[in-house]
This record gives sequence, structure tokens and C-alpha cells, in this order.
Amino acid sequence: MDNVRVLIIEDNPAESDALVKALEANQYTVVGVAQTNREALELFYKSAVDIVIIDVFLGDIPDGITFAETITTVPNSLKPFVFLTSSNDRAVFDRAKLTKPYSFLMKPFNELEVVYAIEMAIERFYGQNDVFFSEEQNTVISNDYLFIKKNNTLKKVLISEICYIEVEERYCTIFTEKEKFVILMSLTKITELLDASRFARTHRNFIVNLAQIEEIDTTDNRIVLQGKQVIPFSEKYKDLIQRFRLLK
Amino acid sequence: MLIDIKSLLSIIFLFTISHITVRAGENQLRKSDLSISIEKTILRNQNTEYLRLAWSYFQKNNWDSTLAYSVKQLDVTKNLEIRNYAHYLSGNCFREKNLLNDAKSEFTSITDNFKFRLAVKSNLGEIYLEQNNFIQAIKYFEGIEQSPDYLKSAITKSALFHDIGLCHFHLLHYRQAEKYLIEGAELQEGEKDTSGLIASYMDIANLYYEQYQDALAIPYFEKAYQLSKRVNNFELKQNAALNMAVVEENRKHYKEALVYRAEYEAWRDSLTDQNKVWDIAQLEKQFAVKEKQKEVDVLATENKVKVAERNSFIYVAVLLFVLLGTGVYFYRLNVKRSKTIFAQKTELDELNAAKDKLFSIVSHDLRSSVNAMKTSNTNLQSNLATKNYAELDQLLQTNSAIANGAYNLLDNLLHWALLQTEQSYFKQESLRLFPIVEQVAFNYKHLMLEKNIVFEQLIPKSTVAFADPESLKIVLRNLFDNAIKFSKEGGKIAVYVRSEIDLVELVVEDTGLGMSETTRLNLLKTTAQPAKKQHEELVGTGLGLQLCKSMIAKNGGMFTIESEEQVGTKMIVSLPKPEKNG
Repeated sequence: MDNVRVLIIEDNPAESDALVKALEANQYTVVGVAQTNREALELFYKSAVDIVIIDVFLGDIPDGITFAETITTVPNSLKPFVFLTSSNDRAVFDRAKLTKPYSFLMKPFNELEVVYAIEMAIERFYGQNDVFFSEEQNTVISNDYLFIKKNNTLKKVLISEICYIEVEERYCTIFTEKEKFVILMSLTKITELLDASRFARTHRNFIVNLAQIEEIDTTDNRIVLQGKQVIPFSEKYKDLIQRFRLLK
Repeated sequence: MLIDIKSLLSIIFLFTISHITVRAGENQLRKSDLSISIEKTILRNQNTEYLRLAWSYFQKNNWDSTLAYSVKQLDVTKNLEIRNYAHYLSGNCFREKNLLNDAKSEFTSITDNFKFRLAVKSNLGEIYLEQNNFIQAIKYFEGIEQSPDYLKSAITKSALFHDIGLCHFHLLHYRQAEKYLIEGAELQEGEKDTSGLIASYMDIANLYYEQYQDALAIPYFEKAYQLSKRVNNFELKQNAALNMAVVEENRKHYKEALVYRAEYEAWRDSLTDQNKVWDIAQLEKQFAVKEKQKEVDVLATENKVKVAERNSFIYVAVLLFVLLGTGVYFYRLNVKRSKTIFAQKTELDELNAAKDKLFSIVSHDLRSSVNAMKTSNTNLQSNLATKNYAELDQLLQTNSAIANGAYNLLDNLLHWALLQTEQSYFKQESLRLFPIVEQVAFNYKHLMLEKNIVFEQLIPKSTVAFADPESLKIVLRNLFDNAIKFSKEGGKIAVYVRSEIDLVELVVEDTGLGMSETTRLNLLKTTAQPAKKQHEELVGTGLGLQLCKSMIAKNGGMFTIESEEQVGTKMIVSLPKPEKNG
């Protein structure tokens, strides 16, 4: 599990320090703090960023909004962002709203508010609203990562590193090469959200990363993965074999 | 000369006498036989409506109407009997109107079998007599005399004889004339027809006089003269007197003649007087009519003037009424307006007073805070100078608390201002209460810890309300602020949801000082001015609660307080729930 990477765009060091402190206290990784629009664009496109916190006003001009407008024009590399503002002024909000911010963070903020704004932005950005504060789910799935809320902090897991998933009622146990952990998510939901070309069911309770399969044993009805893990393979899902080129 | 006078006299007599006779004959006819017969005929036959009308007008002596209806009756009927009656009525009318030729043609149109043919003949005879056609006249009269039913008829014999006598007289058949006139006179004597008798005597006298039989004539003249004294007819009196005068003159009795002439002249004068009187009366009548007409005109004019006056009065009244109405309307409008203005003024005054008070309290509080900070900072500096580090921590904490309080005050002030000017961003959404309460409570954790207050967050994670997050945070901040401020050392503050049925009832409960009912009600009053609270040592502006109420109202929720002194206070925020599919 990795930390979520945050880019901060804030020209006031006192504010950015507070923000960095709050984020680090909640196990986020701060990629960098940009003080101008240019710096921000540079950092945004150079480093891997999961979310951006943008101060609306850089100096006296609402350059934060300009930045948001810029990154919105490139949908492929777009990431969720949070507007940080000290003003409750409607005019600012009305302009900011045009860039569809994923959430707002009002100054002064405490760390709970920061975390809440980030989680909210991720949920909304990936179109899976009302996940992190419900009692049924704690994971948002994007194309590359699982964002998992664990003990009030947000973690991410690279989907390609997942070996297989064992589903049990409302829980899923995720197995990677190095670790295993439990997320709150139903089978239907997870099959719906995972890319069907990369993951397939092999059993009533198992979903496997197709890229990780090393051996399919049809006599013993089992699958051996690259990490030597063995998972069951039921008759019902035999069609799976057709997705591989067979060596005769 | 004498002859001239005589003939003139006779003519005068003839006309007068004939007329009287006809009238007598007709009256009798009208009242008795004619009336019965005509009415019977009307009843017996159909289509006699016009005749009936003509008859009724005839009885009223309305000749023109009688004529009109008779003609109409003649147009619509071919029944000879009815036609005869119509002709008969018309003939009489024409006679009355002295249109003798018309009367003659009407009478001659009547057939011989008409019941009153003798009366017809009598009329024709009389008309010819009046027209001096004595030969025709005498034919008709003798026809009557020779007719078999002459005696049964209503024709007056004396008048007939008189008329025949006159005819003979004018035709110079003196013998015949003498016979008929004397016979007629005798009959008139029997009938006591004095006027007729006078005329007859004078006619007989003239007859004799004409034949120069003065001895026979003079007694008749005298008789006529004597009789004339007994009647009231001036014309007869005059003629009788004149005749006597002429007779006496011819006898050379000038003295008597003069007396008679004088008498004649007296009668003539009274006759002319009478005529004059009548003329004058006529003139007077005309004059009176004119006067009356004038009066009527004047009255009409007066009436017009009155009507005009009345109309103008009405117009003026209406106009005045309208003016009054408009006046009243505008007056009331004005009163209403000034009432509104007054109400608004009062409201504005109140608001202004509230603002002034708020201003003074806020500035007072801020001044105290900053002053406390100054003092604290001076202490801090002196402690730093004396390197008394033990005190520093305590002083910094005090500073921080003061700064916090001042900040909260300013924050509320800002939001109040934004709310008043409707400038703040506001968007209600489906909102989980748990994380929001957590975030707000986070800022108060250390304050509660300091006061040893136990904090319980009992809101279920699933509770959702429909609210604007920023305004809800402001409300919660103020409620926590109050709860901590009024809590005793070691108290407890709990946040929970009491009910989720219609509205989500979020309760912030403390075990603090509580408040009196008066304070409670005062706080809940919508226009409550910020006021000094019960606990003088814990002064607040009241701005916080005002802000809470406004924010909650804006979210479509309700705010209430439950409190018991020395036990604790419950601040209850009721928020709407999101729509099911919203």
C-alpha cells in the first residue's frame, strides 16, 4: 500500500506549512508546493500526482482558478483537485464552479477538514460518491489504483500489483505479492468496477489478475500464480481457458 | 221702401222660424223612435261597429266624428238598411254644419223603404226652403202631407203647415198660404209654442199686409207684438217692434211709430250688445287662452329651468361625491402609506438600535480581548527577560484562548455581514452529519480537555440531512462554543440525533449552568437584540445564536432550546432530510 500523493499550490508559506503538516500527519505524501501557476503546471506534469490542492488566490489574482482551467483542458492527465479559499464570497465560488472543482476547503482548516475535502474530491472525481463515509464501502477504484480508506487515512494500491482477490460477503481480501488486506466492498460492486479484460472470476469467491496466472491445472481444478499461490478453479468458469493461447 | 223692408223682414222670419221647427222635430226623433230603431239595427246586423260609433258620436253632437264613421260604415257594408241609417246620420250632420248641398245628396241617397222616410222628406223640404227653392220644398212638404202614415209619424203638423204656408206665401199663392199659416197658427196655439206662434202671426200679418188688407194684418202684428213681450228672444222682440213701428208709420201714427222704433232700437242694441258682449267674451276668452298659453309657456320654461337646475345640481353633487371619494381614497392611501412608513421606521429604528448595541458590545469585547492580550504579552516579555520559563507555557495558553475567542467573534461578525448582504455561497446538498460534526468538534478537543469535559459523539454514520455544509459548520461551532463556555469543570457534552422522522433533530447537550425561561424565550425571539446574558461573568454578544437561527432558517430548518437551570441545556437543530431520490 502506498501513500496518496498530493500537490499543493499555495503562495503563503504559513498556509502551505499548515497544510503539509496536516497531510503528513495523515500519511499523505506531499509531492511539492508550488507558489505560482507556472511552477504548478511544471510539477503537475512532471511528477506522479493523485490530487491537487489549489489556493484560489495566488497573490491577489485568482490564478488558482486559471491553473484548474488549464489542466481541465487535458482530460487524459486530469486529476482530482480541491479549491482552498479563505473567502466565502459568492463571486469567487461562481467563477471557481465553472471548472467543476471536486471539493472546497475553507481556511482556516483543521486536518479532519483537509482529509475530508481530499476524500470527497476523489469520490466525486471517479464518480463513486458517498463511499468513504458510508458503512458499506471504503474503497474507490480508478483505472490504476484502489483508494482505500483505512483507519481514517487514505491509501492506494496499484491494481496491476494485485494477484487475486478473495471475496467473502461484504469483504474482499486483496492479495498482492507482498501483503494482503481487507476492503469493504461487495462482489457485484468490485466486478463492476474492475477492468474485465484484466480480471476474471475463477471461483465463486475468487477473482484473479489474468496477468499473474502461471499455470492452470484443469485436472485438480486449480490455478497457480507467479507467486506460487494456488487458488481454486471451478468448472463453472472453464470458459476462462479460451482467453489464453493454448500450446498443444 | 216699405216693401223692401217687409220682404227683408219676412226672410229674417223664415230663417228663424224654420230653424226652430226642424230642431223640434229632430229632437223628438232622436230621443224616441230613431234611437230604438238604430240600436236594434246595430244589434241585429253584423259589421255595424262603425255605425255604432257614428251613432254614439251623433248623440254627443260630435258631427265630424259621426261623419267619419258613417263614411267608413258605408265603405264596408252593402246592407241597405244600414246604409240608409248611415246616410241619414251624415245628412243630419251636414245640415248641422250648414253644408246644405252635401246634406241634400245624403238624404236623396236614402231609399224609399227607409223607416224614417218622412223625416227625410221633411229635411229635404226644409233644405230647399232654406235655399229659397220653394217649388221643390213644397213638393216634399205636400208629399209628407199626402203620405198615408203621416199622422202616425213624429212630424210636427204645425211646423209642416207653417212651412207649406211659407212656401205658398213666397210663391204668392196667398190663399193657400193664408189657409196653411192660419191652420199652423191654430195648431201652435194648441201646442203652446209661443215663439212659433209669434213667427206665425207675423207671417200671417205680413201675408195680409202684402195684399194691402191692413185691417186683417194689423191685429196679427199686434198679437205678435203682445206675445213677443212674453218671450226672451231679442230677435223676435226686435222684429215684432219693428213691424209695429212700420205699421204705425204707414198709419201715420208717428208718435206710436216713434215709440215702437225706439223699442226696436233698444232691442236691436241689446241684441248687438249681446253680440258685442259675446264678441268681447270671445276676445276675452282668446285673450285668456293666450294668457293661459303664456302662463303655460312660462311654466314650461320654468320647468325647463328647474330641470336644468336639478340636473346641474345632480352633476355637481356627483362631481362633489367623486371628489370626496377620491379625496378619501387618497387620504386613506396616505394614511396607509404613512402607517407603513411608520412601521418601517420603527423596524429600522429597532434594527439600528440593535446594530448600535451590537457594535458597542463587539467593540467592547474586542477591546477587552486585545487589552488582555496586551497585558499577557507584557507579562510574557517580562518573564522572558527574567528567564522565568515556567510561566511561559501558561501565558501562551492564555494568549491562545484570547485569540481564539476574538477570532470566533470576528468570524461570526463576518458571516453575519455576509448573511445580511446575501453574499455568501450557499448550496444545500445531501450531507452526512457524522464527518461534519467530527470536523467541527476537532477544533474544540483541546478546549474540552482543558476543562475536563467529556465529549460524546453519538451520531450514526448513516444519518443524512439536506443542508449547506459551511453554514451548518458555523452553527455547530457556535453551539460547541456555548456548550463549553457554560459547562462546569468536569461536565459532559453530547451530540446525538434525537429523531429522524420528519426532520433530523440534532442535539447538542451540555450539563452546564442552564438558563431561566425568560432568557430562553428571549434568545429564541426572532428579532431579539443581542443582550447581556444572565451570567454577567460570561458575557457574550448573543450574535452567535442570532447567526445560528438565521443560518438554520436559511437551510429550511428550525432551532429550539431546552434548558433547566443548574442542570443543563439542549440546543436542538432540526434540519430537513434529503429527498429520497435526490
